[in-house]
Amino acid sequence: MSDQRDQSPGNANGFDVEVDVLREALDSLRREIRSRFPATREPGSPGPAHGSVDWPALFTAFRRRVSTIGMVERSGEVDEFGMDEVVLRRTRRLLDLLYEGYWRVELQGLENVPIEGPCLLVANRSGLLPYDGLMVCHAIYRHHPHQLYPRFLVADWLITLPFVQPYLARLGGVRACRENAERLLASGHAVLAFPEGVKGAAKLFRERYRLKRFGRGGVIRIALENRVPIVPIGIVGAEEVHPILFKWGHPARAVGLPFVPVTPSFPLLGPLGLLPLPSKWVIGIGKPIPFDHLEPDAATDELLISRLTEDLRSQIQLLIETGLAHRESVWS
Amino acid sequence: MSAPGVVAVTGLGSFIGRRLVDRLLEGSPKLQILALDHRRPFRLDSRVRFHRIDLTEPTADGRLAEILSRARVDVLVHAAFRKTPTPDLEMDHELETIGSLHVMNACAAAKVKRLVVASSTTLYGPLPDNPNFLTESHPLRGHPDAHSVKDRIEMEGLLADWRERHPDTEVTVLRPCWMMGPDQWDHVNRFFALPVVPMLLGYDPLMQFVHEQDCIHAFERATLSAHPGVFNIVARGVLPLSTILRLAGKRILPLPAPVLYQMAYYPSQGQTGDAPAGFYDYLRYLWVADGARGWEAFGEPLYSSKEAWISFVSARRMRRYR
Repeated sequence: MSDQRDQSPGNANGFDVEVDVLREALDSLRREIRSRFPATREPGSPGPAHGSVDWPALFTAFRRRVSTIGMVERSGEVDEFGMDEVVLRRTRRLLDLLYEGYWRVELQGLENVPIEGPCLLVANRSGLLPYDGLMVCHAIYRHHPHQLYPRFLVADWLITLPFVQPYLARLGGVRACRENAERLLASGHAVLAFPEGVKGAAKLFRERYRLKRFGRGGVIRIALENRVPIVPIGIVGAEEVHPILFKWGHPARAVGLPFVPVTPSFPLLGPLGLLPLPSKWVIGIGKPIPFDHLEPDAATDELLISRLTEDLRSQIQLLIETGLAHRESVWS
Repeated sequence: MSAPGVVAVTGLGSFIGRRLVDRLLEGSPKLQILALDHRRPFRLDSRVRFHRIDLTEPTADGRLAEILSRARVDVLVHAAFRKTPTPDLEMDHELETIGSLHVMNACAAAKVKRLVVASSTTLYGPLPDNPNFLTESHPLRGHPDAHSVKDRIEMEGLLADWRERHPDTEVTVLRPCWMMGPDQWDHVNRFFALPVVPMLLGYDPLMQFVHEQDCIHAFERATLSAHPGVFNIVARGVLPLSTILRLAGKRILPLPAPVLYQMAYYPSQGQTGDAPAGFYDYLRYLWVADGARGWEAFGEPLYSSKEAWISFVSARRMRRYR
């Protein structure tokens, strides 16, 4: 209240009187309370005794905390694809830690992401767990002027994997299929797609940063039919977090995975081997490719689609090369 | 055909049949209503003309055609389906598939102008490769362990063929999802009313419900005005299964899928006659339907999925003190 008075010296007269009256009334109220409830201590005074701990109060607080463990991370509402803002807000701290401290992500070319309107972000895929999708979405969310949070598409086998499925959906993951992508684009979302699919996730360490075939041109077809621009993204660093030495096929069928990856640490160290390695990441975003100038029936022209797909693939490969050259080594 | 004069409802004993007849009696006083079932109900309004007919009998189609043509029925609402699947698989098939075939044949013979059929979105099936929102054109894949779903898929196939052969009849297929509300009571509601609800460990799919009032409203609109085609009847909004159970204050028992399927084998055989996967897979994978077409045709639903669920839960709470 005092700094308000300082800011407005012009009408100080009437204001001063009011403040004084108020203060007096408050003081008398405080005196009255103190006289009626002698046990109430003043806010500034020290606690019951110096050095001693209020054990019953601490115990009550502890019990309350323990009994609500399961309830904190959930909210009553999700959006139509199951994204939960509350879970996302809580996870952002961890994502920030990974982004700044662990992988030291460098984001280049953010200005190429459209400020408004739907767009299709296309990136290279690597590793079984969707760290790359989460990091790209988080990077764009952190730096975008409108705090755009793209929705990332996840392969079938991962979105229905037990224990992973509930969390992925809450963090904005959506099953990769044409209907979902079109619905998201129609409602104005930015969508992050990985056209390499499982072939990209299954890349061995010696094949890193070499893009696989881009499906059957589904990405281009969706962009053409929905009239949205494609923004190419090259992610450097994600391919070293779990360097897959070779793939182990036999035990995979029992768990529902396409294969069990063998990394230098994974089956050897058990669950500890699932920790990602702290490589240095560079995310490069390229110039958006518009499709407005093409005819609407271009989506039926197979040759055109395969040419556009190949163009897109070479652009992303170029972004990856740039990112690799920018990085000094894998770790810095 | 603008306003129908005579409406026939098969399956007066089923939830949809009974509630639809009540609503038609209330809303359209000039309408003549013909009700059909294999058993006379205990209480029957005097304005309803009742005919006893068992659709599983081999000659049911001829008798039904006679009744329909004598009464000059304009609209037939076919709701004679089992409320819950029973262990008697053959009888379920006789009623749901063959009984529906009898109804279709009778409609063709009696030249009924409009046929409204109650189906379900469970027919799409809970499958890992479903898109997040299933539209009406999505193929009906069902579940290999749910016999009632399989019977109804066969019924819809027969109906699609029949529709092509009889282009003069408007056919409306309404597919409501799991219904929630104070009065609806079937195996799904019974499951959700358990004191401890088993869930599959590691799975938490998005669920969608429809309130019984919204569903009956859609049936009424489809009966009284022309809406040919297939419509999903669902509420707006989806919620994760764990969230709705927490909302009801239920205790959740998370069990790994193989353990739950072993444990639930005999109870499930006794109740629905299926392997447990036929029910529990609906709590495992996504089968949410896109209701945009239905909302456009029959109006905005009054209850969202969450409100429908809360309506069911609060009605159960109240009833405990009865």
